Amino acid sequence: MKKNVLVVVALVIILSLCLSSTVFSAEPLKVGLVFDIGGKGDKSFNDSASRGLAWAAADFGIKRIELEPGVDADREVNLRNLAMIGYDVIIGVGFLFTDAISTVADEFPDTKFAIVDGFIPDKPNVMSLLFPEPHGSFLVGMIAGMKALEDGKDTVGFVGGMDISLINGFEAGYIAGVKYVYPECKILSAYAGDTPVAFADPVKGKELALSQYDNGAWVIYHASGLTGAGVFEAAKERKRYVIGVDSNQNYMGYIEETGESFGLTSMLKQVDVAVYLAIKAAVEGTFKGGIEVFGLDRTVTIGDTTYAGVGYAIDKYNEDLVSAEMIAKVEEAKAKIISGEIVVPTEVTK
Amino acid sequence: MFGDIFNAQFVASSIRVAIPLALAGLGGVYSERSGVVNIGLEGMILTGAFTAIAVTNFSGNPWVGVLAAILVGILLGLIHAVTCITFKANQIVSGVAINLFASGITIFLCWLLFGETQIMVKSSLPIWGIPLPNIGEGSVFVRNIIVMFAHHSPLVYLTIIIFILSHIILYKTPFGLRLRSVGEYPQAADTMGVNIVKMRYIAVMTSGALAGLAGSFLSLEQAHFFVKEMSGGRGFIALAAMIFGKWTPFGTAGAALLFGVGEALAMRLQGVLAIPVQFIHMVPYLLAIFVLVSAIGRATPPAADGIPYEKEIG
Amino acid sequence: MKSIKKFDYYILLETITPLIAVIIALLVGAIVIMLIGEDPVFVYKTLFGYAIGNRDGWGNVLFRATPLIFTGLTVAFAFRCGLFNIGGEGQMYIGTFLATWVGFTFTNLPALILIPLCILTAAAGGALWAAVPGILKAKMGVHEVIVTIMMNWIASSLTFFLVLKFKAQPTEAMAAAGVKQMIPHTKEIAEAARLPRLYNILHSLNIDFPAYNQVNVSFFIAIGVAILVYYILWKTNLGYEIRAVGYNPLAAEYGGISVAKNIVLAMMISGAIAGLVGTNEVMGFKYRWRQELFTGLGFNGIAVALLGKNHPLGVVLAAILFGILNYGGALVNIYTAGRIPRELIMVLQAVIVIFVVISDEVVKRLIRQRRKVV
Repeated sequence: MKKNVLVVVALVIILSLCLSSTVFSAEPLKVGLVFDIGGKGDKSFNDSASRGLAWAAADFGIKRIELEPGVDADREVNLRNLAMIGYDVIIGVGFLFTDAISTVADEFPDTKFAIVDGFIPDKPNVMSLLFPEPHGSFLVGMIAGMKALEDGKDTVGFVGGMDISLINGFEAGYIAGVKYVYPECKILSAYAGDTPVAFADPVKGKELALSQYDNGAWVIYHASGLTGAGVFEAAKERKRYVIGVDSNQNYMGYIEETGESFGLTSMLKQVDVAVYLAIKAAVEGTFKGGIEVFGLDRTVTIGDTTYAGVGYAIDKYNEDLVSAEMIAKVEEAKAKIISGEIVVPTEVTK
Repeated sequence: MFGDIFNAQFVASSIRVAIPLALAGLGGVYSERSGVVNIGLEGMILTGAFTAIAVTNFSGNPWVGVLAAILVGILLGLIHAVTCITFKANQIVSGVAINLFASGITIFLCWLLFGETQIMVKSSLPIWGIPLPNIGEGSVFVRNIIVMFAHHSPLVYLTIIIFILSHIILYKTPFGLRLRSVGEYPQAADTMGVNIVKMRYIAVMTSGALAGLAGSFLSLEQAHFFVKEMSGGRGFIALAAMIFGKWTPFGTAGAALLFGVGEALAMRLQGVLAIPVQFIHMVPYLLAIFVLVSAIGRATPPAADGIPYEKEIG
Repeated sequence: MKSIKKFDYYILLETITPLIAVIIALLVGAIVIMLIGEDPVFVYKTLFGYAIGNRDGWGNVLFRATPLIFTGLTVAFAFRCGLFNIGGEGQMYIGTFLATWVGFTFTNLPALILIPLCILTAAAGGALWAAVPGILKAKMGVHEVIVTIMMNWIASSLTFFLVLKFKAQPTEAMAAAGVKQMIPHTKEIAEAARLPRLYNILHSLNIDFPAYNQVNVSFFIAIGVAILVYYILWKTNLGYEIRAVGYNPLAAEYGGISVAKNIVLAMMISGAIAGLVGTNEVMGFKYRWRQELFTGLGFNGIAVALLGKNHPLGVVLAAILFGILNYGGALVNIYTAGRIPRELIMVLQAVIVIFVVISDEVVKRLIRQRRKVV
């Protein structure tokens, strides 16, 4: 009895969905996205993923759902339930989903999964979206170094969330980039904390950044999610430069009242593009499991914009801060990284 | 290296870190001096932090945001008071419930009003004080003094005034005497004609107001952001500061400042000390325990702290 | 307990009041749900339907209740000695990490030895971490609230340092692809250190149960510990002394009970229980240690203990109620397509706690008044 009611309800829903979507004759693809720690609104990593989903929704008319897990066990529960109620594509944002997706993907071989930053190479229905963050960090490190050199300063800084491999990679690439253009430059480095809260603590981020600025840092690069919002606040307060991460955060360094801009650039990690492409592949029936690397040389055109997998952001907020010569040098180094002439380290040598 | 750590900015940073702890801790002092344990400080800070940003963004005026945070703090204080003064329920339970409630309601409302679980503030309070002279101009000493004490958010000065006033209120006024007597010897106070219920209500609501203010400082002034669970245990550290400061305003301020110094120190030691960063992160907490063990010792709460007042007893 | 016969009616009243309070709280929740334009019937149907309407739901609920039973008992036990142990978080971190370490280090021991060894290590780690505030309180009068809070932070930093030290190496596939091991977790514990899942047991009994369900033997350990706590507190001399100290330390001292000794012991037992969270999260679920697995469980234990009136049975029931709400809340979030966030459930939990304590107090008062009349 109950089941019958459910079936009827489901049919009504499906029917109404079919009627409402005029573009596709079949029912629209259902895509679920489960966020990493920090969640939606972090202006950085998670927001980038959410943006990719929104682009896909606009272009393909998919049905979408976004969830924020609470405790760790929620990840698996969220994925499994989405799969059970017929979501076609399920995306886990962040490497913390590795176990959960590996488990659930085996239970639902017909459902397509994608994981951002996670390494699941051997499942036909799991696409792993990886980014060589050290490469992008190297480029923004060069910009930081050249800016410090140009302004006659001797120190730059780095603020990370937790002291984990992923973030160490950002730091290592950045340091190498700074040293590449400015070998004598001093680099201050700090991590916000030892629990995941370290990625969502702008108060700590601001104080850490202030301490680095007060000790001479001219530019600070952050890889700390929402904690970085505090780094931007500190930059505006001290009138020094800051480099954003994951999303284009240049606008966060802009002071409306004075028209000054302190967002030097942002290291772009195009999670949005990767998420969009994963969904696009599913829509077009070309989805296949395995590793997808979104590197410097992986260019993708969506609409009328061309993106690289990782890179640096130039927009109206920082076009006056980063000179054409700087960009030329960065582009030269970029080509060398792609060709393998420059090998960017992924570990910080201490 | 020494000068890289212990400089004027170090002091300023310690003060900033200490402010929310001190304010909430002072809230604890009021509440516990009247005999009501307030574990709910954490939740009151969190709710204050959210309210400050939400109201600032809607009204466009950060001062209105601060005021709203204080009012919401008072409201939560009122809930706590009703539960454990009028209904005489377990005070710790009520406080824990307030924390739980705050965690849920802030995220829930944030999501309902703004569609995200974290929001950026649109405008914040200006820095008040003497404009900083550029390096090289004027004396370094004067500049350092300004950096340390005269270049802060208005709430920092407000906090200092609140602390001085609180000391006077608690120790130099009949009201303060009554408040303390209610927490120490409620029976005696009752026979002297002190309205115990009223005193406790006032104290607990004051405590909420201060915790709300602490929250507004955290979100409006420090983070410029509301983030879920952003109180991050500060309510509990404030409680520790209160106990540490032996339930006195200045003692609490001192203890909060000690945590501030620990935090500021830990931030500056990163990259200076060649030990794993995790050990540097422990510094403020180790410092607190060390000072506590070596110098402070026994802490005795007000005699009637945590005990609902029953007229029939005695 | 003395007056069971005389006041049967009141005992009944006392037992059903929490239930009534829960129902009233749910009604309040329903109003909130209606206010945001959702259907409360659908929400509650989803919440309870999925959480306790089938075996999988029950499994998930018990899996989530298990750590809360441990941390709830942690708080409850210390409370009986007049101590407010809010260091469950830190004690849990240390105990669990040490158990994990034993689990991935002594890999050639048989299960019969390794499992008990891991469990004992978990308890010992928690006990040691809790002994510090206990001793400081007993010997120097330093308030346990301060020390336990500070030690929570120290524990999380210390364990994170150790995780990085014992970090899992890249798998072969990773090495082949030149990819780093990104996840900051330890190596896996030995097969012999793992607790069976409930599925393994039920499956061998031919009872249908989903294989992926995470509930494991640790739940029974938690129940066992709850019974043990009851036994210690009310059936042993040690328990009598601990409760005496909690009730009135001065009188206890006067009666020849060592307050200092009992404070240290109570803290250590309390901490040992917190350490046992590792049996569920590591030995029964993830098989490795990861920093964010446990965050918040220690603090939730406070609410569970207080809702359960610091009684082992109450703690178990409160933990299961929280398990239902937590798991059901996650599903409500999914099945309302994200329109109802999990946090609404947290609000509901808070309202339940407040209503239960208030109603409890009101009923007690009522009974007291009636008794006087009688």
